[in-house]
Amino acid sequence: MARVARGDKAALGDLFAAEGGRLIAIAQRIVRRRDLAEEVVQDAFVSAWQRARQFERERGSARAWLTTIVRNRALNLLRDGARVEYHDGETLADMGDRVADAEGAFDLLAERDALRHCLGRLDRQKRRAILLCYVTGLNHGEVAASLNAPLGTVKAWIRRGVVALQECLA
Amino acid sequence: MSREEKLERAGDYALGLLEGAERQAFEAELARDPELAAIAAGFAGRLQALDDTAAAEASPELWARIEGRLGAAAQLPPVAANTNSAPAAPRWAAMAASVMLALGIGYFGGQALKPPTPAPTMVAVLLNEGDQSPGAIIEAFGDDSVRIVPLVDFAVPEGSVLQVWTLPDADTGPVSLGTLGAAAEMRLRGPDLPLPADGQLYEITLEPAPGSPTGRPTGPILVKGFAKAPI
Repeated sequence: MARVARGDKAALGDLFAAEGGRLIAIAQRIVRRRDLAEEVVQDAFVSAWQRARQFERERGSARAWLTTIVRNRALNLLRDGARVEYHDGETLADMGDRVADAEGAFDLLAERDALRHCLGRLDRQKRRAILLCYVTGLNHGEVAASLNAPLGTVKAWIRRGVVALQECLA
Repeated sequence: MSREEKLERAGDYALGLLEGAERQAFEAELARDPELAAIAAGFAGRLQALDDTAAAEASPELWARIEGRLGAAAQLPPVAANTNSAPAAPRWAAMAASVMLALGIGYFGGQALKPPTPAPTMVAVLLNEGDQSPGAIIEAFGDDSVRIVPLVDFAVPEGSVLQVWTLPDADTGPVSLGTLGAAAEMRLRGPDLPLPADGQLYEITLEPAPGSPTGRPTGPILVKGFAKAPI
């Protein structure tokens, strides 16, 4: 990232080569469409380029920083809704895909990852609700719809779930 | 906030469940509360293991498109150091700052300009939060500049500045237009933004010098108001 901050485009290209695919997949779990996911990643790299000198002053990994930028942009695009047309285009298959993506991410966590262990200790519904929010970017109402549960119940699951999860990870 | 509440709020934040004003309020809280920032950064870091399970091929064409845009995208200067940050926890501070930079709005480019002027596109009368008395007038021009005319002499403690903000839209969030050392008439030029719109929010907050450490308002709001087009 220090090279990027000095205006080295090739260094950003190396970051793209190393992280681009993973970042597109992260965005696609949220925005669903490959073209939109690519757009998110494109904007994120331009933004990282512009802000590279601000990043240099901080300590943290460039990978985590890029991931955060991509997640935020993807979530904004999803919430913006105008282009994703999530609600209008909703189908059972799409919901099923989201649940599959969310659970798939959990299944792919390394056996020894503490996050896997701690998520595994939650009730199934709490775990699913948390995964649907983080992995596929759903909000409370959308999680309630996809798990066919009352909104208040889903909010309580998530509230208790994130506390239990953080206590387990501590 | 109790520790349990902090875990809940940090959890909602990391899961992407805080939006708009709620999210802004939480981020302002992050800048003030080292324990909360440590919790939020820690949890967000652990959750990234889920992101690491994602995999796809990136096409070289996409990189070509990105590279093509870099020429027109100037690199911004480093953010000024946060003079108020506690040395106790540099790591969370860095992470919290990174999270906020990721929102894409940290900018401290306000600079004083010389006068001469066309008519303003929008005018906003900023009112005191307490008694709703007028505290400043902002004239916004079509060239990303604003003229500030303070109507009261705001007390600016040593080590603080007045920072002028606008909210072009909820998604963009508050954008800094620049800072003032004292309540004086001044023209500032902010970053490249859409033309100011009717009803757009402007506000002035008190921030640690040389400007908000987070790129978002963190200090008390002194005055705020909404833009209206002059006849």
